[in-house]
Amino acid sequence: MRTNRTFVLGAALLALVISACTPGEGDSPAASAGGESQAADLPSLTIGSAGFWESAVVAEIYAQALEGAGFTVERSLELGARDVTHPALVDGEIDLMPEYIGGYLAVTYEGEPTPDIEESLTALRTELEADGLVAFEPTPGTDADGFAVRQETADDLGLATMSDLAEVAGDLTWGVAQECAENPNCGPGLERVYGIDFASLDVETLAACSTAIAEALNASNIDVAQVCTTQPEIAGFNLVLLEDDLGLAPAQNLVPVARQELVDEAGEVLETTLNEVSALLTTEELTNLGAAVILNGESYEDAASQWLEDNGL
Amino acid sequence: MIEFLGELAGWFADPATWSGRDGIPVRLWEHLWISGVSLAGSIGIGLPLGLAIGHTGRGAGTVVAVANIGRAVPSLGLMGLAFLLLLPLGLGVGPLPTIVALVALGIPPIVVNAYTGLREVDRDLIEAARGMGMREREVLRGVEVPIALPVILAGIRTSAVQIVATATLAAAIGGGTLGQLIVIGFNVGDQVRIFGGALVVAALSIATELGFAWIQRRATSPGLRGRGYAPIDPAPVAPGGGTPLP
Repeated sequence: MRTNRTFVLGAALLALVISACTPGEGDSPAASAGGESQAADLPSLTIGSAGFWESAVVAEIYAQALEGAGFTVERSLELGARDVTHPALVDGEIDLMPEYIGGYLAVTYEGEPTPDIEESLTALRTELEADGLVAFEPTPGTDADGFAVRQETADDLGLATMSDLAEVAGDLTWGVAQECAENPNCGPGLERVYGIDFASLDVETLAACSTAIAEALNASNIDVAQVCTTQPEIAGFNLVLLEDDLGLAPAQNLVPVARQELVDEAGEVLETTLNEVSALLTTEELTNLGAAVILNGESYEDAASQWLEDNGL
Repeated sequence: MIEFLGELAGWFADPATWSGRDGIPVRLWEHLWISGVSLAGSIGIGLPLGLAIGHTGRGAGTVVAVANIGRAVPSLGLMGLAFLLLLPLGLGVGPLPTIVALVALGIPPIVVNAYTGLREVDRDLIEAARGMGMREREVLRGVEVPIALPVILAGIRTSAVQIVATATLAAAIGGGTLGQLIVIGFNVGDQVRIFGGALVVAALSIATELGFAWIQRRATSPGLRGRGYAPIDPAPVAPGGGTPLP
């Protein structure tokens, strides 16, 4: 998950240069949709995103939803990794972007996220406050490390959760990342949380969250694959993501993070609009958005507007 | 720097480095057998081909050209392709895609050297052998191959070293090998293991080089050795002249 995202950094920086050279979005057609009475008071804002599809498409959803609420929005998507996006937020180059609770807390603030969403979010909010930033409500969906099986395996063995998987773990061939044995969220975590004896498992190693591991699972070369929970191939190959029912993976739910200044100027409409969007972004919805942009090649704009339309926003 | 070397020594001294799924012995054995099988495959395909075109002189242009194009194909790309093609057969994850790619990698030096070695054998010797009533197979076995052996073995040696070094890439596609140590080090951000793993691979490659050089020396006919040939030089050797061709 982390690795292939950092590869996007170069492309993202290029995109930034190009977007800086093109005229701004100006008056978006969506601005006429509603809230005319407020439009005069609402500040304009710049929305950023990290350098990979999920962050970008969610940022685009924020942008279109806020335009619908009467904001004037500029986009600065796919900026790169947190060493780029976080300073951009703090310095006010961007005013708002989607972030991940656990990743943001761990990478930028060296905190220790837990599987408990509220606990991790509270810890993150405490840190953000000192930087003049605000996190709104999280999505129900999470982009964390997870495990998936084929539909037929799930049907045959009655698998829906990781606890179910633990009971048949020894009968299946696992595809995990090379470093799984020492990743606290993989081998040792499976043992601690689900009682799976990792050392005795039949294991093949492939990069986690990769297309290759999804292909290997789909073609029955392995029976369980270490995936990212919103990986587009889960939708593409109709794989079954097993629910992390006992809480192994740290909370990686998305939260809109905004500058306090923007929140003060914009008032409630910013928060209510974004919370309304977040509440609908389940893990499955995020996976489908990924399938739309990655597997079907839709633009972020099209995927976002389609999603908003489908959800009546 | 000193600190890093200390950590490196510590890693090699750690019993955990030498045990378990990702311990050096398990991955080293995997590396060795995958390389061995691949080299055997390369020899099995490359040597008969090289000897046939070297002996007859027919089809040489095509085969050597194809072999040289083969050298230009990146091994990792070939592994990825083999991985995807073998997935539907249930053989994509594991050693097979790596072996397929390594066999392909190992063939060109063997073909080219076998061909070159045979073509450089003095034509007069071959004619004399035929004049004595030797059949073609006997000419090949009794005259051409013994004289060309240093060059043929040099091709196998080149092939072996390339295979051993490249087998490292298998870790990227689920094939394990010593590359696993490097990939893990990379994924967890541990430079000691990246360097330590690379060191083990480098040592293995050098050992392969030295081992095959020794075999090559031992296998060279004393008659050739004593006459100023440079038996371990992979460059074509001029029979009778005693000096390597440029």
